Amino acid sequence: MLTAANRATTRCWRSASPGVQVWRCSGSALTAERICVTHPSAMAAHGRGQRTLSFTMETVKGDAPPPSVQQPTPVFPVMEQKPLPLTGGEEAEYLLALKQDFRGAMRSLPCFIQPLVTNRDVERYSDKYNRSEQMDKLLDWAPDWKRFPRELRVHVRKPARDSVSAAVQSPPPPQMKKKGVKDKEEVLLKLESLEKKEEQETSEDEEGETKKKQEEEEAEGEEEYDEEEFEEETDYIMSYFDNGEDFGGDSDDNMDEAIY
Amino acid sequence: MTAQEVRLCGLLLQEHFGEVVEKVGTHLLKSGAQNLRTIIHETGLSVDLVKKSLCVLVQHGATTFSSGRKGPGSPTEYHTSCDRILRILRYPRYIYTAKTLYGDTGELIIEELLQRGHTTMSSTVKTVADRLTQNMAEGRTMDYTEVSLTFSKLVETHFLQRCPPLPGVGNKDSSAPSETPATPGTPAAPVNTAPPTPESFPECYKVPSVTLIGRGKRQLASEDGEEQRSAKRAKMDPETHGDEGIYWQVNFERFHLHFRDQTIISAVANKLDQTSSEIVRTMLRMSEVTTSPMATCTKPLSANEIFRSLPPSYNILRPILDQYLTLLVDDPMEFVGKAGESGGGMFVVNLHRALANLARATLESVVQERFGSRSARIFRLLLRKRHLEQKQVEDFAMIPAKEAKDMLYTLLSQNLVQLQEIPKTPDYAPSRTFYLYTVNQLPTARMLLQNCYKTVANLIERRLFETKESKRLLEKSQRIEAILASLQASGAEPEQLTEVEEMITAPEKQQLDTLRLHINKLDSAENQVDETIFLLESYINSTNASS
Repeated sequence: MLTAANRATTRCWRSASPGVQVWRCSGSALTAERICVTHPSAMAAHGRGQRTLSFTMETVKGDAPPPSVQQPTPVFPVMEQKPLPLTGGEEAEYLLALKQDFRGAMRSLPCFIQPLVTNRDVERYSDKYNRSEQMDKLLDWAPDWKRFPRELRVHVRKPARDSVSAAVQSPPPPQMKKKGVKDKEEVLLKLESLEKKEEQETSEDEEGETKKKQEEEEAEGEEEYDEEEFEEETDYIMSYFDNGEDFGGDSDDNMDEAIY
Repeated sequence: MTAQEVRLCGLLLQEHFGEVVEKVGTHLLKSGAQNLRTIIHETGLSVDLVKKSLCVLVQHGATTFSSGRKGPGSPTEYHTSCDRILRILRYPRYIYTAKTLYGDTGELIIEELLQRGHTTMSSTVKTVADRLTQNMAEGRTMDYTEVSLTFSKLVETHFLQRCPPLPGVGNKDSSAPSETPATPGTPAAPVNTAPPTPESFPECYKVPSVTLIGRGKRQLASEDGEEQRSAKRAKMDPETHGDEGIYWQVNFERFHLHFRDQTIISAVANKLDQTSSEIVRTMLRMSEVTTSPMATCTKPLSANEIFRSLPPSYNILRPILDQYLTLLVDDPMEFVGKAGESGGGMFVVNLHRALANLARATLESVVQERFGSRSARIFRLLLRKRHLEQKQVEDFAMIPAKEAKDMLYTLLSQNLVQLQEIPKTPDYAPSRTFYLYTVNQLPTARMLLQNCYKTVANLIERRLFETKESKRLLEKSQRIEAILASLQASGAEPEQLTEVEEMITAPEKQQLDTLRLHINKLDSAENQVDETIFLLESYINSTNASS
């Protein structure tokens, strides 16, 4: 640790022995002063500014300098004194409960924003419904836009599921006129992206509708088959299977034609 | 805005508002005031997400916006400060204080306001009434007037305040209530660099006349009830209650003053006795309204006034009161001082000095718990005697030379003690220089405050790590709880319930218990470190104010 003494730019008085100069190292933190006895030329690389030269009482008294430490301090150093236990009591427990409740409540509020994480490893059926849930959450919160700068206004439109015409709801034109000249490019970009979104949504909706219709038809078709199958509770579709009762019972009388 | 503060703010934002807001918030904290385009460009998030996060931050008062530096034409700039976000640590304490002062209603009002940031009085009252009705017995509902009454009381005692109206944005013209009441003479208001404080507006604490008639609604369990309620709510929303555009926020400074008073009273109770603390409490109560937040001490109160205002349960005699007051004045902690002799003696509570002494006691206890009682003795010695040579330290502390040297060097390496060199000769010859050890209280307090921020950040990270490790187990237990709850609601047999409970094996249950214990410990530790943070912050702010 660099103490005030280290930073003081004090000049050292040359020690009695001319060959050895005592310099103070900066940068090691464990014990108070680190005295490295090195050759002056080795310290040249560190630059002149770091040369803080002062003796301490220790060296004056002639004790051996403590060894310097070459590595950073351990992450979990051993503590000589154990810390005190936490204060328990009713108040502390109530505060704890309040804290955890508050955290939980904040997660369910609309101001808790989480980006739409698209796990596109496997397309799941529930994606369609999860997306709509998140949109609902965004819509929930409608702050008083007068208190915010105009540029922060975000227009979130409901995805049209009932009718295709509803998807044509674009942000109302008067809002466009209010934007200044500087934002024109932004507006154009936004319009393009919105158009793309609309197309995607309408196409997705159309696809969804057609898919739904197909599924309905298939379901109806399958029901007819199901009735036949489940008569005898077998895995095989009855109409394909010929159980051979008719075999050999047709024409026992006329043996003119060969039976293959 | 130190690195530790920014790190802690990031973690708090992440826990309470999500990762997107955290990204935007930390970016703003690190780079100062910026406009929207720069933020979008530098964070790399989508435009919508950035806008939404800024809305959330502004809504909760963490970010303020102002017109740009180059004049009124430049894009608006957003500025976030650490202080407001660090308050999130103290939310449980605010809610608990409101509970002790104003009951459950007050508790829920403050909780609502802390969750939403800025809300109107009518929406808060409605939500709180609904929540109270949920918890009440069947058939009873909470009336709106009761909640409004508590709200008004909170505003009267200044725990809630109006959000300041915005100067440039919106309909209000700039000649509206002056932002600097101290300079009424200036005709043209210059461009303000500092945002106006809420207190500078005259209507800050005025309760609007709101027509709120109704009772709380209980949330019905059946599907039909919910549909009806949502239909009713859609009809009720367009109803105006006369307070549109008036938003309220929690006044943290007032809570801090309250905490400070509580700390002083409990310190007196610990050091002296209950009666002395009651006397100090009476004095503080009497000076609540007359003392400004930045005052060094309260207005002088005469002993006669104090005697008359003591709570009736404390019927101590007048001479006894005088003795107690003398005792308080002579105490080395200097909580109470004497300001004159008229009226039986004029007494003040020394607020700043009390805070300084409490901070000093905190520093001493930190040294004691980390390094032992002998090092603490050296530390206290240096605090009292300011500058001491090593020999003098050994003599005064009555510790053998070698150990004293070791302890001093340990404290020096931790930067709790500083070394001052005083040369006798112009060349700083070591044999002819005094080396004095000293302790500076204010820089040491600042350093410890940063350590506290680092501590809380580490606690939060460790808690997140533990939760992440056992994520699978937690999800499983949540699912099982949900199943149990639904089974119980639909009335199942006990065998089915035990069968579901047994889906969690015994070692898993043990693991869950230890996890729960660890998380509670870490949370509780955060709360306690926050108490130290409050004390050190109050001390540092008080020195800023007086200097």
